[in-house]
Amino acid sequence: MAKKDSYGYTGKILNVDLTTGTLKDSPTPLDWARQYIGGAGLAARMLYPLLTEKIEPLGPDNPLLLMAGPFVGTAVPSSGRMAICTRSPLTRLWGESDIGGYFGAEMRQAGYDGIFIKGRAEKPIYLSLLFGKAELKDANHIWSHTISATQRLLRKDIDEKRFFTLSIGPAGENLVKYANIMSEGARAAGRMGLGAVMGSKNLKAMIVVGDQPVPVANHDAIVELARPVNKIMMKDFMPDCYRIMGTATAVGPAQEIGAMPNKYFTQGEFPTHDNISGATMSETRLVGFDGCHRCPIQCGRIVKVSEGKFKLPRVNGPEYETIGALGSMMLIDDLDAVIKAGYLCDDLGLDTISTGNSIGFAYYLMDQNKLTFKEVGMNLVWGDPEPVIKLIPKIAYREGFGAILAEGTRSMGERYDAADLAVHVKGLEVSCWDPRALFGMATSYATSPRGGTHLDGDMYMVLQGQVIMELGIDADDPQTDEGMGEVAAKSQSWRQVSNSLIMCQFPTYSVDEITQFFNLVVGRNTTPQELMHIGDRIITLKRLINLNLGFKSEDDSLPSLLLQPLPDGGTNGMVPNLEKQLNDYYAYRDWDRKTGLPSAAALKKVGLADLDK
Amino acid sequence: MEFGTPDWLESFVKTLNENEAYEDAAATWEGDFLFIVWPDKEKGINEEVVMYMDLWHGKCRGYEMLPNRDAKETAFVYEGEYANWKEIIEGRLDPIKALLTRRMKLIGDRAKVMRATRAAKELVRTAQMIKTEFP
Repeated sequence: MAKKDSYGYTGKILNVDLTTGTLKDSPTPLDWARQYIGGAGLAARMLYPLLTEKIEPLGPDNPLLLMAGPFVGTAVPSSGRMAICTRSPLTRLWGESDIGGYFGAEMRQAGYDGIFIKGRAEKPIYLSLLFGKAELKDANHIWSHTISATQRLLRKDIDEKRFFTLSIGPAGENLVKYANIMSEGARAAGRMGLGAVMGSKNLKAMIVVGDQPVPVANHDAIVELARPVNKIMMKDFMPDCYRIMGTATAVGPAQEIGAMPNKYFTQGEFPTHDNISGATMSETRLVGFDGCHRCPIQCGRIVKVSEGKFKLPRVNGPEYETIGALGSMMLIDDLDAVIKAGYLCDDLGLDTISTGNSIGFAYYLMDQNKLTFKEVGMNLVWGDPEPVIKLIPKIAYREGFGAILAEGTRSMGERYDAADLAVHVKGLEVSCWDPRALFGMATSYATSPRGGTHLDGDMYMVLQGQVIMELGIDADDPQTDEGMGEVAAKSQSWRQVSNSLIMCQFPTYSVDEITQFFNLVVGRNTTPQELMHIGDRIITLKRLINLNLGFKSEDDSLPSLLLQPLPDGGTNGMVPNLEKQLNDYYAYRDWDRKTGLPSAAALKKVGLADLDK
Repeated sequence: MEFGTPDWLESFVKTLNENEAYEDAAATWEGDFLFIVWPDKEKGINEEVVMYMDLWHGKCRGYEMLPNRDAKETAFVYEGEYANWKEIIEGRLDPIKALLTRRMKLIGDRAKVMRATRAAKELVRTAQMIKTEFP
């Protein structure tokens, strides 16, 4: 029976020391959990004292922390996510990526709020966590295998019919800077190179299954509240679109406003974009759906390519970001090629966004005569998907030109004397929401502790209509700078809350309903404003972590290509005024624009005065 | 002209059929609509106002006021409160944003609609071209 002050938490963290091979339980730090909720927030607090500049991202001392939040594994709808945090090998700053599927929920049902991993195993191993029993097992037989093969082989090892995996592919083993961690071949902790961190530790996979309920304050009331929320989600316009077309629903509207990257962020229009839209995929290739724990939306796609040179059996289909990064980025309008490219990335363990950006940058460099046929080994011609299909395995195995791509666009820019043309923020390749169409994304990208991710502030959703009026997260005009820095800051803070609870962004239940769920899970009487305050605390803490890791305020910037007017398309040649937005953002947060430091008053306001140096 | 009257609908269709921007944006659109304004007794709207429009390849090839929603079966129904219609017609609420914020409802093929967001915006821009009075 859980104690009143620990509702929402299993109360245990599994500590794995791969160097010594020891496994030990420690209590979940509940005092911190009250201040940082769980997920990425609690992970940030736990990692804060450990992440220092001397920690090498791919060295044994870099900790890797898997952390669920209080919602995960409960009856709260669409809450099957988990955060994975570390120092990123790609940006060398705060590394965070969250992952859907079932692993997080099962980890909680196996009795653990999180798994803290450090050290480096001498030989490849995997972690087995079955019904609360943790073991390290030999992974020689699965090392060097793809994600799908790894899962097949693990299935032979385990007596249980039902279990869930996290694993890396060859890309992670080969320390590709943007290698991901995959769950069941469908869901990814895609960004920031977390798969390379696993690879550096010789940790090939983790498997989990649990059967214990997560302790919550009022399970019956959660179920009662979830019923109408689920019902509404089944009828609501946007979740319904996601169910029918996946996140690739957004392809048409994004192209319409010029928000999707075409020709490496240099072209506003892509007339044949409907060939790779979610609508076309659902009409021509969709054969099934896939979803996460307790989610009625089922936005995941199962597709089949029945014929042609990109023929594939039933595989997980591409979502919006994959279609943008591996499709429109290179002006590729062949849906089958995009499906194939996405599948290859997933199976080899590569982040589709960074992979597409890196390949797209190579296309662009060749177009600009900064890269030659001889260096690449093939011609890169806009619209031709063949090089993409050929280069993806080369990246994963670091073969030939693939080894250069494997380091990411920042490194490529430096290598080819084209640093000013590389599209990244803090070293992280930029997602497929262009700030020239959606001005608030300028602040979101520039100030994200991770860099070019759309997942640290949802201005791309807010500016397309998914506003949160009650928290002041609203803007009528997507192409104004007026007040945008402040709205983006609020959106960023709320996103820290979501990433700590943890819940998906696609459900449309309200802030009040989220707060009610939170109170029913943890047995408190919190308000949305108090949750926002926690969000402010978390984002400030991540800033402190980044400052410890060498962040400079000039890192809060955008690549120059994203600040040049597009010649055509829905942006109408407009560009955001980043400096104005950043001044507003910094003023709202009370951070020093020159040094990047939160003021003493700001630290005190968010409850971090004890970390003031 | 008062919004939701036969005269307003006629004027709207005429303007729409002369609008090249709409014709371009909706060049491939095929699908008829019921546009329904929910009753609002404070505004003297005691029953649903139901406007039928047959939109086809950038033109409206048929229209009429209907006595109720059951009078004709259409591919799409776009409906909501009078106050939200007013905001849409006045350009203060985007028709797609209205769907995302649950202020308007859509029945019909989502895939088709998500391919036609520019056409939807041009439809609203056309409505703004005619002088509309609201009760």
